[in-house]
Amino acid sequence: MDADCVLLLPGVCQVLLDSGRSLPDDTTLEKLLDWLTGITEADKEGSLLEVHPCLLEFISFVVCKTSSDPSVISFTLKLCGLMGATEDGFKRLQESSVLDLAFSRQHWHEAGLWEDPCIRIGWIQGLRSMLLHSKALSFFVQADLTAQLLQLQTDTSLFVASAANQMLAHILLFFQPVMSAGCNTIGKKHWEDKRTQASIIGPGVTMDTSEDYDAVLAVTSKYLQESLVPKENTQFHQSLQTLKLLGLLLAQARPPLRDQLLQTAADPLEEVVTAGCSQLTLPLMDVVLAAYSSSTGEGVPDQHVARLLSSMLTMSKPADLIQAAAALLSRGHPDSVHAAQAVRILLLPLDLITGQALLGTNTAADKHRFSMVDQLKSKTSCISMICVCLTNTPQISLMPADLLPCPSASIVTAVLSLLRICSGDSSSSPAGCPEVFRNVISSGKVQKSALEALTGLSSSPGVKGMLIEVLAVLIEYLNHPDSDPIVLHKSYQAVVQWLSVCVDLSFTTDKLQQDLVEVVKKRVCDMRWEVRDSTVEFLGKLAGVLVSAKVAPDTSEVLLGGCCSASLLREALQDPESYVRASAISALAQTLAHSWQQGAAPTQQQTDIVSRLLEILSQDTEGFARRAVVQYFIAWFSSRSSSTSRSPSTSTCSTSPLLMNSVSTVLSLGSADLDWEVKVHTLELAELLLDEAFLGHRGYRKGSDTHLALPHPYAVVSDQTCTLHTHNRKRTEGMDSDLAIRLKTLVEQGVFSVLLSGLVDCDRPVSLKACQLLIKFRETVCPVSIEAPEETVAEVSCELPGWGWGQDISKTLGMTMSDQAKVADIAANGAHVFDSEDCKENVNKGGDSVCVRVCEVLRSLGLDAKLDILIQSSDHVHNSPLSLLQDILTAGAAHSHPDTQPGQEVIVDCY
Amino acid sequence: MPEIKVTPLGAGQDVGRSCILVSIGGKNIMLDCGMHMGYNDDRRFPDFSYITQNGRLTDFLDCLIISHFHLDHCGALPYMSEMVGYDGPIYMTHPTKAICPILLEDFRKITVDKKGETNFFTSQMIKDCMKKVIPLNLHQTVQVDDELEIKAYYAGHVLGAAMVHIKVGSESVVYTGDYNMTPDRHLGAAWIDKCRPDILISESTYATTIRDSKRCRERDFLKKVHESIERGGKVLIPVFALGRAQELCILLETFWERMNLKAPIYFSTGLTEKANHYYKLFITWTNQKIRKTFVQRNMFEFKHIKAFDRSYADNPGPMVVFATPGMLHAGQSLQIFKKWAGNEKNMVIMPGYCVQGTIGHKILNGQRKLEMEGRATLDVKLQVEYMSFSAHADAKGIMQLIRMAEPRNMVLVHGEAVKMEFLKGKIEQEFSIDCYMPANGETVTVTTNPSVPVDISLNLLKREMALGGPLPDPKKPRTMHGTLIMKENSLKLVSSEQALKELGLNEHQLRFTCRVQLQDPHSDPDTLHRIYTHLKSVLKGYTIQHLPDGTVMVESIVIKVSSSAEDPNTKVLLLSWSYQDEDLGSFLSTLLKKGLPSGLC
Repeated sequence: MDADCVLLLPGVCQVLLDSGRSLPDDTTLEKLLDWLTGITEADKEGSLLEVHPCLLEFISFVVCKTSSDPSVISFTLKLCGLMGATEDGFKRLQESSVLDLAFSRQHWHEAGLWEDPCIRIGWIQGLRSMLLHSKALSFFVQADLTAQLLQLQTDTSLFVASAANQMLAHILLFFQPVMSAGCNTIGKKHWEDKRTQASIIGPGVTMDTSEDYDAVLAVTSKYLQESLVPKENTQFHQSLQTLKLLGLLLAQARPPLRDQLLQTAADPLEEVVTAGCSQLTLPLMDVVLAAYSSSTGEGVPDQHVARLLSSMLTMSKPADLIQAAAALLSRGHPDSVHAAQAVRILLLPLDLITGQALLGTNTAADKHRFSMVDQLKSKTSCISMICVCLTNTPQISLMPADLLPCPSASIVTAVLSLLRICSGDSSSSPAGCPEVFRNVISSGKVQKSALEALTGLSSSPGVKGMLIEVLAVLIEYLNHPDSDPIVLHKSYQAVVQWLSVCVDLSFTTDKLQQDLVEVVKKRVCDMRWEVRDSTVEFLGKLAGVLVSAKVAPDTSEVLLGGCCSASLLREALQDPESYVRASAISALAQTLAHSWQQGAAPTQQQTDIVSRLLEILSQDTEGFARRAVVQYFIAWFSSRSSSTSRSPSTSTCSTSPLLMNSVSTVLSLGSADLDWEVKVHTLELAELLLDEAFLGHRGYRKGSDTHLALPHPYAVVSDQTCTLHTHNRKRTEGMDSDLAIRLKTLVEQGVFSVLLSGLVDCDRPVSLKACQLLIKFRETVCPVSIEAPEETVAEVSCELPGWGWGQDISKTLGMTMSDQAKVADIAANGAHVFDSEDCKENVNKGGDSVCVRVCEVLRSLGLDAKLDILIQSSDHVHNSPLSLLQDILTAGAAHSHPDTQPGQEVIVDCY
Repeated sequence: MPEIKVTPLGAGQDVGRSCILVSIGGKNIMLDCGMHMGYNDDRRFPDFSYITQNGRLTDFLDCLIISHFHLDHCGALPYMSEMVGYDGPIYMTHPTKAICPILLEDFRKITVDKKGETNFFTSQMIKDCMKKVIPLNLHQTVQVDDELEIKAYYAGHVLGAAMVHIKVGSESVVYTGDYNMTPDRHLGAAWIDKCRPDILISESTYATTIRDSKRCRERDFLKKVHESIERGGKVLIPVFALGRAQELCILLETFWERMNLKAPIYFSTGLTEKANHYYKLFITWTNQKIRKTFVQRNMFEFKHIKAFDRSYADNPGPMVVFATPGMLHAGQSLQIFKKWAGNEKNMVIMPGYCVQGTIGHKILNGQRKLEMEGRATLDVKLQVEYMSFSAHADAKGIMQLIRMAEPRNMVLVHGEAVKMEFLKGKIEQEFSIDCYMPANGETVTVTTNPSVPVDISLNLLKREMALGGPLPDPKKPRTMHGTLIMKENSLKLVSSEQALKELGLNEHQLRFTCRVQLQDPHSDPDTLHRIYTHLKSVLKGYTIQHLPDGTVMVESIVIKVSSSAEDPNTKVLLLSWSYQDEDLGSFLSTLLKKGLPSGLC
């Protein structure tokens, strides 16, 4: 523990003891506990209570007095458990007679505090932290806490009930007997996703613990036996919780425990399965699948469990059946027989509604057919069942053919029929169920699910030939006047997805292309910005898909029938909604990517686009569009440089003057922008210029191309510290003069100014990125390991404006105004500091601005120290334990201050 | 009996992140999806795993409704829709839909600014999420599906804030979100119909706070700013992008105009234009005064308030600067604070709550030495003031809303337990209704007694009137007898004959039978006669017949006698009756079980 924190800890304990009410910030106690948990984990000796006696005094006082605020008591119970997690700490707590009282429910009940759920949570979590050794287990058993914990399983608070379940699972799994056979890992992946994981790596049952463990197991087993089956038809809560507990246990139990649990639960489980309680279907399926997976892990599946699983897949209520089948598939199908059965169940609603005979002609085998039809006639259950069915179709279509009752293409056909029915056209489903049609017509929920399913089905085997049919339905949807924005969005996604899989345009027809063009033209002018944005995004993605698939250059144009998506996108640059403008800009970048890669000379159209984009960058009031503009130039610059393997020295010459001129403007506008992300993207552009200038130069390593990997135009920039290099330089004069030229070019392009202005920016991501780039710059141009840079390099200078960031940099450099004047004098006298005529002129002209040598600036800014601070970020203030302890102390002082007036109380309201 | 369940996942006895689950008439609705700014990990978002079994929120929830754009009400929305994967309908008002992304972007920036932040939503996610939002108009009933409908009401508090009335069949719930019952400088007061919901879920932030009048606070604010300016100091007001910043701007603008003050007022990072745009766009959501004067002069076009450039912070002389973010934990407001903190002539006014760890929190608690980056210490000499301008209903306002809506039950959320306890007592005493204050994770269950509409056949009414019954009057409910049938999803009360006809059924007679043994040393006919005599004496006013076929009939009840084969003195009586005479049949069987009186002849 930090020495400063050690000093403050007793005071903090005192504040917590003194405060008759909760602290003004509800996160304080949790953060304090987080910190102490970290310390306890690091403290293997368990000497925390010994080193900090104030902690024991605090726990003891709170537990005995019971007059503290419930949140403080809850914290104390958790802390008590944390301290008792080591045997030494436990012993110390027991010696102080704290444990019996802290974990006595009766004690808190008598104090009238047990009713408060935060006390119950503290009680459970405290015990949970402590139960890591045999002594704690003995304490738990002797105090007869198993029964009390089981009672909390059905607590009125969801949080308490869930914590009680987790706790019970923890005890039985953590201390479970160790067998020579490996522990069960089947089904582990699924369970790892669960919110709180009970650790399976425990000490196991030893001589010390076996008796206690058996006692807990006996009580729990009895409880499982008694409470698995719901007593009354309406009371499922207890059964539900018990099933959850059993699920947790079976997922991680090793053989002896697992067998015992299965033996205990077998009969009640069968009873629950037979009873067919809808509310219990999912947790029951979890349990059965966990049991099944664990038993198959040993080789032959347990016959009893297999029977249970089969029973679950033959339940009488169709809705339950569908849920069970979906659960089976989502947990990974345990065997081919059950998987095939689940597939048939899940495809049945689709088969019935559309009449597509997905299950073959021998449908008599599907005994649920009639009850399913009946259920489908009720709107609510119809929609719910068909959605579950649709969600699973992509996964079904990818299953081995022998498990499928029909080819994947039939599933696609059925989904398409369903989509047609949803939009009111049942002509393609003559064998369908007309009574059900009215339930799905115009149902947005079904439409969305079906479109998602269709998107997912694009990668199924043997479906490519269906592209025309798929596109026809999707275009119909895009054209439909009643389609809501989300349905349209999903339709576009489906089109893109299918085209990305079937890029061969011979699959499409002229008519379809024409229809697509028409609908896109219509939707790009839609009243709703959401629709316009989805359309514009679609154009961009389509271009992206076709470029990445390396199809003919103008495929997207061909596909869109020469409607010229670029012209539609140019129009969209004027959109009143900034989101649409931003999407249009990034879509343009994707559309033009191919011609950039080819290095073709910009057309007049592209020149117009560039001037419009620069206008947006300088005038648009919304950040989204401006960010997209900078990203556009990043994409242009990087696609151009990545496509050609030109040498660094020649690259600039072959670059389009339009691009290079624009880049300078973007750098200057972008670095002065109000939006932090525009500034970060501008620094990324500057980084590209640095890469290009210095690539291949000794000591320079290209930074991570984070911008290229970004999934979308406004992604968060990941903070990756750049690698610093040590140099073992072997200089040659030619190289240095070359370096000086490049350096000068960068200064002229404004790259250096962008980096300096970023460095003093108030937004940390900006200054961090700038600082990293400047260090990289310095290490290439004038590394600190070299005493002095070559003269040609050292002489390169730049101008610092006398305002804004220039002033801040001057201050950082420690330059007073008189220093600046002196520098200016020297410059005027032609002294050696400056060699640039331009710079001299500026100094004489501007009065305020000042010229400085780049290398000197790089070496004098204290970049390494600044980087340390920036990496720490404001977190150093926010999240340090010291800051937390100070906040508690000052809050305590403010609280107890006699002068505090009620009106000045800081009220926790909203933000 | 039908039930409505209310479970707060957030805002239960705290002011953290509002997220309340309501289950009504088989529908699950989530009210608000807020974020707790005090945490940097998953604890900042509601934990949805408690409410779903298979992790698919879309299967479980029927809709999500966002009450207003504050982050403690909408901050977890992109997380829920884009990361957890909720794909169902999301509702909010038009202004909330427009402003929400700005606030979410603002917070994303703050989060990205922190070290080690992962698993946070991106800009694209915010946009994708907003594209899924269905906008609500005030007082317009929106049909979520065939059974569930929602209607928004004006809530004051912030631009676009709404209360929402949720209805399934005859059951209903009103959720207030945050609301304000007194108009302020730019917004009106909350209002709702007398909709008599089964439950009113109300915020209770200021449940017990005795608040000085808003005018008083405004005067105090202006006085403090003015004094500071007069002595040549600089005033920093850290704010969030939109909301109370606009209210304070109107206040200062008017004051500057009136007092003819020359000191500059600045607003950082171009937020004024954005705010102006939205306030112009949603002028109908502002208060009456602003709406009226809008034609002559737009209140949000400020003459004295100019855009801020960072170099201005070093300018000599007094000035007022509004800068983001509002808790002084990063960015421009923190940068200016660092520059000005050392001068006791300067002042910082915190207009809202700050979470632990922020500089705002520290200085409000009275810390005067702040450890900054690189272990540098900052001496805070400037004056620190806290003035909450957030607009919530106080106890009086909450009572006023209850009077307006006349709920059958109350649930208090978004407040501190101690304060809620006080208000709960007051509500229960004054309105004689149950008031609940569930903690997070606890479920309030309210049983409802829904009225089910039933059509009555004209024939039945005519028959009732023919028997002398009064004319039907909706104000005078009375009992009607008939057969209740359900046809084509509607209920009808008809005569039994009509019911048979409509349902195409045949009439069947249902008879109950029962055997009673008694000791009677007479012949069977004598025993039967004795029974007849006994019943005649006991049942006055009933039709009792001794029929020649060897039976006694009391109304529809038939009694026969036979002797036991083993013992002729043991008589077995067979009783049979139709269901209309069930009471009388039971009575007779009990009576005869007691035996016959000895004096009978």
